[in-house]
Amino acid sequence: MNRRNATLAATAATLAGAAALADFRSPRHGTQVDVTQLAAEIEAGDDHISAIDLAERIMKGDGNIRVLDLRSEAEFGEFHIPGARLTSIAALAREQLPRDETIALYSEGGGHAAQAWVLLRLRGYRKVLVLREGIYEWMSRVLEPRLAKDATAAERREFERAALLSRYFGGVPRSGVDRSELHTGYWTDVAQARPDARSTRRRGC
Amino acid sequence: MIRPAKPYSDPYLAGIGLGLVLLAAYVWVGRGLGASGAFSSVVAAATSGSASPLGDWLVLELVGVAVGGYLSARLAGRTRAAIERGPRVSGYGRMMAAAGGGVLMGLGAKFARGCTSGQALSGGALLSAGSWIFIAACFATGYLLAPLARRLWR
Amino acid sequence: MTAPLTETGALGATGELVAAPMIGIAFGWCLERAGLGYAPKLAGQFYLSDLTVFKVMFSAILTAMLGAFWLDRMGLLTLSLVSMPETLVLPQALGGVLFGVGFLVAGLCPGTSCVAAASGRLDGAGVIGGMLGGVALFHAIFPWVQRFYESTALGSVTFAEMLNVSRGMGIVLVTVVALGGFAVAGRIERARL
Repeated sequence: MNRRNATLAATAATLAGAAALADFRSPRHGTQVDVTQLAAEIEAGDDHISAIDLAERIMKGDGNIRVLDLRSEAEFGEFHIPGARLTSIAALAREQLPRDETIALYSEGGGHAAQAWVLLRLRGYRKVLVLREGIYEWMSRVLEPRLAKDATAAERREFERAALLSRYFGGVPRSGVDRSELHTGYWTDVAQARPDARSTRRRGC
Repeated sequence: MIRPAKPYSDPYLAGIGLGLVLLAAYVWVGRGLGASGAFSSVVAAATSGSASPLGDWLVLELVGVAVGGYLSARLAGRTRAAIERGPRVSGYGRMMAAAGGGVLMGLGAKFARGCTSGQALSGGALLSAGSWIFIAACFATGYLLAPLARRLWR
Repeated sequence: MTAPLTETGALGATGELVAAPMIGIAFGWCLERAGLGYAPKLAGQFYLSDLTVFKVMFSAILTAMLGAFWLDRMGLLTLSLVSMPETLVLPQALGGVLFGVGFLVAGLCPGTSCVAAASGRLDGAGVIGGMLGGVALFHAIFPWVQRFYESTALGSVTFAEMLNVSRGMGIVLVTVVALGGFAVAGRIERARL
């Protein structure tokens, strides 16, 4: 073996050995996660997906999104978002999920899903989103969207988008409803036209 | 068979160069190289008109591979219209083998979600379990069945 | 985090597409430089007469693997954001076997077939045609193989995770295999002289 090859081999061996030493203390896999960054994402609301956006992606057959349900088996059996899979916080602590898929989490009201979000982010998964008000948000915004009698033009547009999705998922849109009967949630204060900022980028080979 | 005009590069240096290109891909676009995916994309576009952004990326990349290969060959005086083959097989036989082998590789790459570029190189460098399973299966098979293909190459 | 550039926003959608042929050109260049556009050379590996493929492939893997690990450690690359293929044990094992037979018979793989064709080699074009056919064939039989195709999925997992060792340890294993292989290759070649 000539000098050059010997040098290259020695370099590779050293770098590899150093890698093993550097990883000696780390029992877990996944890279260092910046907690400050996580906090920033939560504050900015980047951890959310609205039920409407989720419904749209499911309807369009987006193969890149994986919907996970964090409720009980009984609740799941009774009703779940089409295409969702039941899992648990404990399972998500160890389960291997594709890193380039978007993971959408939901629970009853959003609490468990939010905890699962933190867990998955700490494990290094990047594309994790939470349905902020859980199954309630799905049932009210997607299955039963309501339009007030005195709706504004913006509300009307939003309702139309929701109604389309609702019919696709077998829901019942209702218009001409009294304002007091509208479903309320975080979305009633937020401007509706904001599309989901995350773009899906598949990166296979 | 005519020997090539200029000698080939040292394989280790070429390999390091290739590794650096792969590393650049990780750093620039967060993905590895690929090849078979481009073929999938072409077939998908031809049969159902469906396009995928990933497929486009791979097609563009593969076009680049052809360009890069041409440039290198041209500068080294290695471009030649020919059917490269073993000494005991005819041009026709070689072409049949090329096409037949291609069919098998097309199938295999679909099942494996990649080929030697995407799985073996790119996935292998990332320690992906499936990539190493692919590498082992691919090369073990090739070596084991080589005696049966002697007539093609020896 | 400074990279991947497409994840930090330094490289947008257009930039990502522009990077594709640039990376491809460099890829194709390196392959041709090593002589991997010449089918008898690639097939020679299976007869132990020419071990270029092994040398190129594993030095590439070593370079990218070590490079990626250390860039990540130095905070210059976020490795968890680099897309890694999923593992599906049985389909990929079968895929490897099929691919291995095809590779042995064709003497070229998808990437090198493009290099060969671009250099004027008709056999390269033949392989390309065959591969398009193979992909089309796969689509035709898909309903029958779908269950198998989607079976034994483990997600994007490294073999290190599966063996429950650290990433660094996994790197050592690959390095040992590579360097050991290079030593063996050298011996085989000297024996032939």
